[in-house]
Amino acid sequence: MRNNLSRWIYWVVGLVILAIYPQVVGIYYTNVFVGFAIFGLYAVTLNLLLGYMGVLSFGHAMFFGAGAYSTALALTHIQGFPLLPALLVGGLAGAMLALILCPLLVRVSGTAFAMLTLAFGQLIFVIALKYREVTGGEDGVGGYPIPSFNIPGVVSIDMTDQINFYYFAVTVIIVCLWLLWFYTKTPFGSLVVGVRDNAMRIDYLGFKLPQTKAVNLIVSGCFAGIAGAIYALFQNLVSTLGVLDIGTSFAPILMAYIGGLGSFFGPIVGSAILHLLEDVTFRITEQIELVNGLVFILVVLFAPMGIVGLLRQAKAKWFHKEKVS
Amino acid sequence: MNILETEGLYHDFSGLLVLFDVNLEVKEGERHAIIGPNGAGKTTLFNVITGTYSPSRGRVTFKGKEVTGWKPHNLTRVGMGRSFQITSTFSRLTTFQNIRMGILSKRRIRFNLFRKVDKMQNITEETDDVLKRINLDGERDLPASMLSYGKHRSLEISMALATDPDLVMLDEPTAGMSRDETHHAVELIRRLTEGKTVVIIEHDMDVVFSLADRITVLHLGHILASGPPGEIRESQAVKDAYLGETEV
Amino acid sequence: MSPTTAMYVAQAIHGLAYGMLLFLVASGLTMIFGMMGILNLAHASFFMLSGYFCYTVITVTGNFWLALLIAPVAAGICGLLVERFLLRKVHAQGHLAELLLTVGIMLVILEAVKVGWGTESMMIKMPNGLDGLISVANMTYPIYRLFVIGLSLVVLGIMALILYKTRLGMIVRAAVSDADMVSALGINTPLVFMLVFGFGTWLAGVAGVVAAPLLTVFPGMADQIGMDAFVVVVVGGFGSLIGAFFVALFLGELNAYGIQFIPRLAPVLMFAFMAIVLAFKPMGFFGERE
Ligand SMILES: Nc1ncnc2c1ncn2[C@@H]1O[C@H](COP(=O)(O)OP(=O)(O)OP(=O)(O)O)[C@@H](O)[C@H]1O
Ligand SMILES: [Mg+2]
Repeated sequence: MRNNLSRWIYWVVGLVILAIYPQVVGIYYTNVFVGFAIFGLYAVTLNLLLGYMGVLSFGHAMFFGAGAYSTALALTHIQGFPLLPALLVGGLAGAMLALILCPLLVRVSGTAFAMLTLAFGQLIFVIALKYREVTGGEDGVGGYPIPSFNIPGVVSIDMTDQINFYYFAVTVIIVCLWLLWFYTKTPFGSLVVGVRDNAMRIDYLGFKLPQTKAVNLIVSGCFAGIAGAIYALFQNLVSTLGVLDIGTSFAPILMAYIGGLGSFFGPIVGSAILHLLEDVTFRITEQIELVNGLVFILVVLFAPMGIVGLLRQAKAKWFHKEKVS
Repeated sequence: MNILETEGLYHDFSGLLVLFDVNLEVKEGERHAIIGPNGAGKTTLFNVITGTYSPSRGRVTFKGKEVTGWKPHNLTRVGMGRSFQITSTFSRLTTFQNIRMGILSKRRIRFNLFRKVDKMQNITEETDDVLKRINLDGERDLPASMLSYGKHRSLEISMALATDPDLVMLDEPTAGMSRDETHHAVELIRRLTEGKTVVIIEHDMDVVFSLADRITVLHLGHILASGPPGEIRESQAVKDAYLGETEV
Repeated sequence: MSPTTAMYVAQAIHGLAYGMLLFLVASGLTMIFGMMGILNLAHASFFMLSGYFCYTVITVTGNFWLALLIAPVAAGICGLLVERFLLRKVHAQGHLAELLLTVGIMLVILEAVKVGWGTESMMIKMPNGLDGLISVANMTYPIYRLFVIGLSLVVLGIMALILYKTRLGMIVRAAVSDADMVSALGINTPLVFMLVFGFGTWLAGVAGVVAAPLLTVFPGMADQIGMDAFVVVVVGGFGSLIGAFFVALFLGELNAYGIQFIPRLAPVLMFAFMAIVLAFKPMGFFGERE
């Protein structure tokens, strides 16, 4: 009972903080938060593969980019395309891409998986770069209309207002994160973890290995696509170099690893740390990537379980001490 | 009736012939031991029967149906279970989660995305029951990799049984165990396989003769002899090939 | 020779030159993979780093040949240090940590170069005597590309000599195909790892200097060859030098003719090729293990 109560209190406090946040910090940090939240969701979808299933996607930007481009293109070419379908289009594009690739991807693991995703990621990046008629190449697609949040006869909320968009994006991302969190807790989610630990045993227990991996890939691709779609609505500009390049593939790996692969929320913590770090670094030097790289090396060297792992360790130690004394 | 049969089974690894015209018959309900010196091809025979590899030649029949070349998950679904010579559990999952995976399979809960697995009361209860029966309830929340060797082996055996198979194939379940642990493991196997058919690969002759109703001797990839324990003990060919060396 | 044939031949030589450079980069990569089981994502960074060293040496001394001598050695020493003080520390944590560490190293080298030398692209003049054209059988060809092929062959020869004629080479070959066995023989594997890592980065460094006059020196100069080297290692088979050799030459040609006939899709060809090969042979053509 007490546990339930404290959980409710956490939720309420969290939501209240999120609700008053933009009023307190102003527009700049409101936007920083949206960026953090989008990448937090994106990094969680990567961790669905890396932490949960044990395969490293080195081309995850292709799912993010597929979502971002589909949303941007739908909004550009279809007059009056509404808001929620724009999100769904992104998710669908990510899922479709994963579905197309999964016959190949489910057959490999380890280094081969990393390299195959890298290859497909680059393939799609290069194609998008060259077919500028559709994708706009380096310049990208931009300036498309951002639809309002519309329930006919009830409300119509202007999404070009940044504060409004904050509430919309944060709501969508929380819902997505909750869905994914629930997903990892289902029997199927436990199966995915089994694949990570011992794929052969999963097969011998009577589960279909390729199908299991495929479903998880598609879920990951779908939500990465949704993250991309929110990004497209947020930036009102989608370019090859911004959503499909290798940097966009590395970012969620960095976040997941820094936050901690072993926990669902680790990648979100990682995204927060990197965004904060970027903000702080930016005041001191222009060399954000250099600092990122150094932080990454330090984390791999000294905190292989990530920040969340470090905290857990500290907590365990702390409680241990308390017991002793 | 035979629950499992192989006919003229051959297997080679890029030319190296490891199984050679193996005709194995396992009767329903019996405990069938497979013995033979190191490298005789026992594990390979298991691998070919349970679907790790397809045989180069020959047929495998299970419950009267031809299952040659079937994949492991399909064989599991029609009632075959298997343990491994080299312990193969979910090392980072707890003992409880390891067994639960088997229970989920048995209940055919696979692509369920709508309930939390922790909230499935019947699954939890059944898993805890199994843990109690295999004396691992004390290690319920320990990761499998932290179990003592003997307990880890017990978990390995139990996972083969968790899906409630009709035919259990155990590959050297007591390998590397101390005398005491072996004794417990044999008791465990006896208890858990009540009413099931068991094929067991085993080097420990005491275990073999105390457990088995029938024994098949594999030597250099070929069946040397097959029969009741008494007959095998007396067979000169078997003595020459195998028993003589190990009983020293 | 008709002009069309001449053009085909010219493309073939073009492709060969690129293929040889690619092999220099990929051979180090595949050796490191064979030994440590990781694909060093920072490998191409040493190619670029060496290009920058080359620029600096030429600025100071004005001598390309001196740069060819010094820059790769400097890059190789950086490689040694990276192995000794970074990679070795996380070896026990497994492949994922190592792989990710190389990503971090890649980022740091890239950004450090931008800080040190700026982001402009910088010209490197070809050495005197190699900057002209040569006519053979009534077609003209840039001498420098022929020099690239020649020099790569020399390096390849030295590599083959070391690998197949010396005791160290024997140990390295054994370590590449089975690292555990070598350490079981009581050989100091960490030392061998470090030397091979250094040697591999030196090879990438040589390629970096040789390529510098063709590509100019800029932060992205290793992007294409780096990607292509991965394709080579993956397709040729992880840890297989022979595989890397053939695939590098093949990709060189694929690239050269691809640019000629379907310029837009040339980069796509590489990755499409890799995806197809991996789909049917996940271990690559000559590879045996994960
Ligand atoms: N994957 C493989 N590739 C090549 N050869 C193999 C492979 N697996 C087994 N072998 C060879 O096949 C032969 C039989 O091996 P197997 O493991 O079946 O023997 P076993 O009877 O189980 O021996 P043990 O009592 O040691 O477990 C051995 O010579 C072994 O070296
Ligand atoms: Mg065996």
